[in-house]
Amino acid sequence: MHATASAGLALAQRASSVGDNAPYVAIAQVEAGSAAERLGLAQGDALLTIGGAVVHGVREVWDTIAALPAEATEKQIAWMPNLEALLGELELTAVAEQPGVFRPRLAYVGTDTVAAKAGLRDGDVLLTANGMLLQGSQQTWQALAIAAREGSDPVQLAIERDGKREVVPFAVRREGVLPLDRSLFAAIWHFCTSLDEPRYPEHAGLASAILGSLLVVLVTMLFAFPLGIAAAVYLEEYAKRSRLTTVLQVLIANLAGIPSVVYGIIGLEIIDRTLGLGRSILTGGITLGLMILPVMILGCREALRTVPPWVRHAAYAVGATPSQVVWYQVLPYAMPGMLTAMILAISRAIGEAAPLIMLGAFLFVTYLPKNLMDSFTVVPIQIFTWATRPQAGYETIAAVAIVVLLVLLFVLNGTAIYLRNRCQLRW
Amino acid sequence: MPRQEPGATATALAAPPVLATTNFSLWYGKHQALHDVTLEVPERQVTAVIGPSGCGKSTWLRSLNRMNDLLGTVRTEGAVCYRGTDIYGPQVDAVEVRRRIGMVFQKPNPFPKSIRDNLAFPLRINGLRDGIEQRIETALKRAALWEEVKDRLSRGALELSGGQQQRLCIARALVTEPEILLMDEPCSALDPGSTARVEDLIQELAQRYTVVIVTHNMQQAARVSQNTAFFYLGRLEEFGATREMFAKPAKKRTEDYITGRFG
Repeated sequence: MHATASAGLALAQRASSVGDNAPYVAIAQVEAGSAAERLGLAQGDALLTIGGAVVHGVREVWDTIAALPAEATEKQIAWMPNLEALLGELELTAVAEQPGVFRPRLAYVGTDTVAAKAGLRDGDVLLTANGMLLQGSQQTWQALAIAAREGSDPVQLAIERDGKREVVPFAVRREGVLPLDRSLFAAIWHFCTSLDEPRYPEHAGLASAILGSLLVVLVTMLFAFPLGIAAAVYLEEYAKRSRLTTVLQVLIANLAGIPSVVYGIIGLEIIDRTLGLGRSILTGGITLGLMILPVMILGCREALRTVPPWVRHAAYAVGATPSQVVWYQVLPYAMPGMLTAMILAISRAIGEAAPLIMLGAFLFVTYLPKNLMDSFTVVPIQIFTWATRPQAGYETIAAVAIVVLLVLLFVLNGTAIYLRNRCQLRW
Repeated sequence: MPRQEPGATATALAAPPVLATTNFSLWYGKHQALHDVTLEVPERQVTAVIGPSGCGKSTWLRSLNRMNDLLGTVRTEGAVCYRGTDIYGPQVDAVEVRRRIGMVFQKPNPFPKSIRDNLAFPLRINGLRDGIEQRIETALKRAALWEEVKDRLSRGALELSGGQQQRLCIARALVTEPEILLMDEPCSALDPGSTARVEDLIQELAQRYTVVIVTHNMQQAARVSQNTAFFYLGRLEEFGATREMFAKPAKKRTEDYITGRFG
């Protein structure tokens, strides 16, 4: 996928008006100064074959490129020039015997078009290409592309000139070697460092979503971790058993089971509107922080309960105050368990899209967030967006983004596990 | 030397006793665990506390440095006086009490940290920042552990053997220079060799500290202590010099317990 993009191409899969709307691959964009441009490819050209294999769709292009042998052959890719370069200008002319039927006629061939070099002249009416009836101007070009792709080259073009029918061999194929960067690393690097592109999936990347996810998770962690620990320490170590704390505990346990969308509504109303933080990374992070807070508190309380009573007794016996006991003995002892709670909570936060969509659907972001007050997108939302785009190929990069999300999760969890193990080693 | 008034006892004229409980009663919720315990702990001697399970001897010991406070539902009456001050008095901070009266528990409970950190923690929370290394060394020497651990102070305390861990806990209790050391069955989790070492250590410590030791082991009480208190059903049954009590108990019940008729 990255291979064609690296050569400077953006591809689009289009349906033709030939046969059962046979699809073909159009070259949607050619980057200035790219290898593709040097080879002579232009916007509007049709991509016919790769490595000798006919390609009907964008996915097929990428699959074919992936299967190419390492050595590039001379006829590595074949394409057909766009309508203008191929035929110049076409006009439609009525057919005398058949009212309502039109035929394409060459209006201005010029001197540089392929048609001119093949001996076609202004005024020639185009009838069939490899037996396919030619009707409209786009349809004519598409029919030529499909004929050149699947049939013989040159295409057998039937024309009517000066009232006489002739068959002209019309060579429309162009062939050449396009340098394709097929390394996986380059592809992944490009994918992870590019911004979203609304039309060409091979150019779209996950950079702003990855950065958005990391920043949101950072805010979430900074919000939920200290608050979760503090709440857990208060409930476990300081709070007297009263009706209030019992009610609090029940509420916290219940909050852990609330659907995440509800937190999105809270974030929208309270953090975004009331506190005026806007649809920013800060709002998103705090909303997710609120969402995982109950889980954090429950996990941290479990971790505190695993601290054996003798640790506390030993500390009290040497004259520690309750806060010294908590700070120097109980918290370090419970820290690995608390980090485990954080890992679980963060894993949930990073995969969460619903509350963030509630916050205002950052569905299309084509810039990197610069600070915590910027609007943003996150990887799950980006996946959701891509999966619903109509163009061919976005579902593929959505799948790649899912893999990237998993890797991101592994990296974050790995970091937390490393931290936890370091905590344990210090014992 | 001042002339003694006729009729006055020697203790009445001396400085206030280092530690004494007066008509001390204690309740766990509604259950009364101690009844009117009045006992004066002699200074710089080892006082053993014996009695059957559930007799209140550990409860009494934990009352001496207010460790019972941690249980939450404890109510007391009477007084526990340290140098004449009731440690349950309204002005007294339990944290301060525990800094003056050290405690060693039944099971060795070093902090899961390095040997040095175990000893530095009490110093640090007491605001002692100078000469930490020197104090650690002194405490470890008094606990007869210095020679074994001096080269690995940074290693984890949990790597030590059970006996070494218990001596580390003793060193930890000593490092802040308390006057009194409370020991709650300090040898019950140790093997005989380690027990012997700790018992020797207790004898040595008595030259410098006042030691109160709760034990289930009659022979141990006889070996290490100068005085013995016998508790039964939350009451102090008998208190006196160990030698006399073991040779000729004043009460029938004490004799029955010492000779192993019940336990």
